[in-house]
Amino acid sequence: MGFLYSILIDPFVQIAQQPAFFLEVVIGGLLAGVMYSLVALGFVLIFKASGVFNFAQGTMVLFAALTLVGQMEAGVPVWIALITTAIVMVILAFGVERLVLRPLVNQAPIILFMATLGISYFLEGLGQLLWGGDVHTLSLGIPSGPLIVRGVLINKFDLVAAAVAGVLVTSLALFFQKTATGRALRAVADDHQAALSVGIPLKHIWVIVWAVAGLVALVAGIMWGSNLGVQFSLVFLALKALPVLILGGFESVPGAIVGGLIVGVAEKVGEVFWGPALGGGIEDWIAYVLALVFLLFRPQGLFGERIIERV
Amino acid sequence: MSNRSDASARASGAVLLEVEAISLAFGGINALSDVSFDVKRGEIRAIIGPNGAGKSSMLNCINGFYRPQSGTITYKGKAVHRMRPHDAAKNGIARTFQNIALFRGMTTLDNIMTGRLLKTRSNVFYDALYLGPARREELKHREFVEHVIDFLEIQAIRKTPVGRLPYGLQKRVELGRALAAEPDLLLLDEPMAGMNVEEKEDMSRFILDVNDEFGTTIALIEHDMGVVMDISDRIVVLDYGRKIADGTPDAVRTDRAVIDAYLGVSHG
Amino acid sequence: MLYREAGQFKTSYAADQAILPILQDRIGLALILLVAYVVVPLVGNEYWLSTIMVPFLVYALAALGLNLLTGYAGQLSLGTGGFMATGAFSAYKIATAFPQLNIVIVILLAGLVAAAVGLLFGIPSLRIKGFYLAVATLAAQFFLIWLFNKVPWFTNDSASGVISAPPRAVFGHVFVTGAEANPQGKYLFALTIVALMALAAKNMVRTSTGRAWMAIRDMDIAAEIIGIRPLSTKLLAFAVSSFYVGVAGALWAFVYTGAVEPLAFDIDRSFQILFMIIIGGLGSILGSFLGAAFIVFLPIFLNNAPPYLGFQIAVSTVTELQLIIFGVLIVFFLIVEPNGLARLWQIGKEKLRLWPFPY
Repeated sequence: MGFLYSILIDPFVQIAQQPAFFLEVVIGGLLAGVMYSLVALGFVLIFKASGVFNFAQGTMVLFAALTLVGQMEAGVPVWIALITTAIVMVILAFGVERLVLRPLVNQAPIILFMATLGISYFLEGLGQLLWGGDVHTLSLGIPSGPLIVRGVLINKFDLVAAAVAGVLVTSLALFFQKTATGRALRAVADDHQAALSVGIPLKHIWVIVWAVAGLVALVAGIMWGSNLGVQFSLVFLALKALPVLILGGFESVPGAIVGGLIVGVAEKVGEVFWGPALGGGIEDWIAYVLALVFLLFRPQGLFGERIIERV
Repeated sequence: MSNRSDASARASGAVLLEVEAISLAFGGINALSDVSFDVKRGEIRAIIGPNGAGKSSMLNCINGFYRPQSGTITYKGKAVHRMRPHDAAKNGIARTFQNIALFRGMTTLDNIMTGRLLKTRSNVFYDALYLGPARREELKHREFVEHVIDFLEIQAIRKTPVGRLPYGLQKRVELGRALAAEPDLLLLDEPMAGMNVEEKEDMSRFILDVNDEFGTTIALIEHDMGVVMDISDRIVVLDYGRKIADGTPDAVRTDRAVIDAYLGVSHG
Repeated sequence: MLYREAGQFKTSYAADQAILPILQDRIGLALILLVAYVVVPLVGNEYWLSTIMVPFLVYALAALGLNLLTGYAGQLSLGTGGFMATGAFSAYKIATAFPQLNIVIVILLAGLVAAAVGLLFGIPSLRIKGFYLAVATLAAQFFLIWLFNKVPWFTNDSASGVISAPPRAVFGHVFVTGAEANPQGKYLFALTIVALMALAAKNMVRTSTGRAWMAIRDMDIAAEIIGIRPLSTKLLAFAVSSFYVGVAGALWAFVYTGAVEPLAFDIDRSFQILFMIIIGGLGSILGSFLGAAFIVFLPIFLNNAPPYLGFQIAVSTVTELQLIIFGVLIVFFLIVEPNGLARLWQIGKEKLRLWPFPY
């Protein structure tokens, strides 16, 4: 009885009694969600353009961050390290296209998904082999520390993350809508065969997409790495991004943002207000259960398109 | 029962399936508008029409894959607004598909055996132990399926995974899977598509034999006019989702509306 | 010439339906069983039996379970670890609550509990397909591990969160779990359970149950139209698969490690088992065993081969190399032979039929 009360009534009572605190938690959740969105963006890019769910996106974030940090720790100046890492990610894109995507060009999506699982293992091992498995601190001089706005506590770092995400999303959206390459990418996502027959070079498209996703991964890696330290657990971001995508729709850039925000808020609010009653650690699974609920009632996500099956 | 000369006798037989005022739309597109016709027991009914006329959609409504927005489907005397796939299968409706819906990962034998699934009395426990009932059922159905395999002359490819078979043989295996279910009504969606003359003759022979030997009622979609005129008892013609003709091959062949439709004469 | 089928005619469907219609295959299996039951226990030392053979068997069983679900029924699951944990913790609770209950019954009951849980998490599978379903199973994975970590009832309020398998015996006095059990006993116990369940699995996949699963996997729309009920077929796959995986988890806790915490069944475990069936061969009973063997032996090989060849590799490097090799192999197999080692084995057998002729 007491347990039921603590789940069904008490959290709401607490929320009602402490609106300012609740707002803080929500804002904290929104800003945490922005970080998820950064990772989800990479997924959306690749899925939009090649129909592949890139399980390795999280590992790419880690690999990019590791490459950056590794160089910086070896004394390489920040700007050069950044450029080198970006180049490495582009080379990675070439490698993936040549060695994985091309041989598997007409296979079922699940095969491609499993191939990205393989890429993920590979990058994980390679990253650790090259740069070691310890936690690295990444300090790029991003402002952090608390900021109080109208009585609400906000973290400066989170604001920077939000700004970065905003810039990224806007540029990507513009890219997809306004440029010829963006149009080609959308065509490829729709139908490989048709795109080929119109003369769109599939291989180039894939390299571009994976390279862009790699750069997005680098940005995400910088943000997450500065926040948490560059360590192996970044790989789990890949898994967290799944609920984000399900909420937002796998092919929608705005969906990735909105999905990330919702997941962020749900996790924070859930943990703070419902966590104590359940022993804590809700964050581990609340995102997935939320995604599950969404899958049951709105499988295409908030921004996705209904899938019609034809025989 | 022997050949098409019995057509008139079949045309006046009992009605097995009747569709009334079926309308089906996808978003803004009307796939079918107010289509009505019937299929009599034991006959071969062809559904023809130019591409996009809604023929496959009609079949899909009959076996429950699509749900029409309005209209009634009466099968074996029972009228429903929407047929459910499982009920259709249970009540003896089997079909083949335009793009071949075989189970690629399985052999010919296994594919045809899946056609027997509704008639198999076994459960997972018996299956796991493979004693008694499961074993008996397995062998019993295997025997029936072998009859189907003999009938369709596909013994040689029994154990070949169907994904490796040439197109014409795949279509034959798909027919076998439908036949294995011992259907009362067989829906064939372009069974001759992509076949050469020999293969078409073989397939026509099979279709006629199925109708003759087992008395199976057949509704088929087909583009080859020669075949259609040869083997069907009655024909329904669709164009832009509407029925424009309904009758014996001779009547339909000379129907003005049909000729116009095929020659592409536009009518508002 | 050794492996020819010529001269072996089947005169009945029953003979053709047999699991091993070819005589040479039957001899081969008999030999394997002989080696497994007689040679290995006699020859193997504790290290081999306890840290190689037993985990191999347990992994193979878990891989078998996942293969039934993912390889045969086409439902991707990333929750294998969570269901293993369910089996392990259920077995623990049942064994400690009913100490007089025979260990075999305990393990089977634990499997049933896992099956029930699997059933529950399989319900979304009707509306969700492909890797969307993976998310539902991920939810199961994270939720279950959290549950076993947080709720003290599962560990009988143990402070450390670790459960230790209580000693149990079969046939009255042959201990198979706990401190008194000897490696041979544990090994034979695990071997028998796994062998019987593998036989049951083989039976299931070659009868209507298996055909319905494969039909759903290959084209569930067509399957529905020939009368298969997708939901009950998928749920059955989830239940049976979770049963197998749950038993594997119980065996893991009771016979393999003896003491286990939820962390042993986390998301990495799920991926590991998935990796086994990809490499070993999706939709193949044999493949489950081959994949498990590969995973168990690769680290051993990586640890022991370099010294043989004259150079040393650091332990951490071995782990990293393993990851790299895993990754490369997954991609390699998906490109070259999506049906995994099992198919390569089949191809090998085909070549054997002609050997020593080239074609």
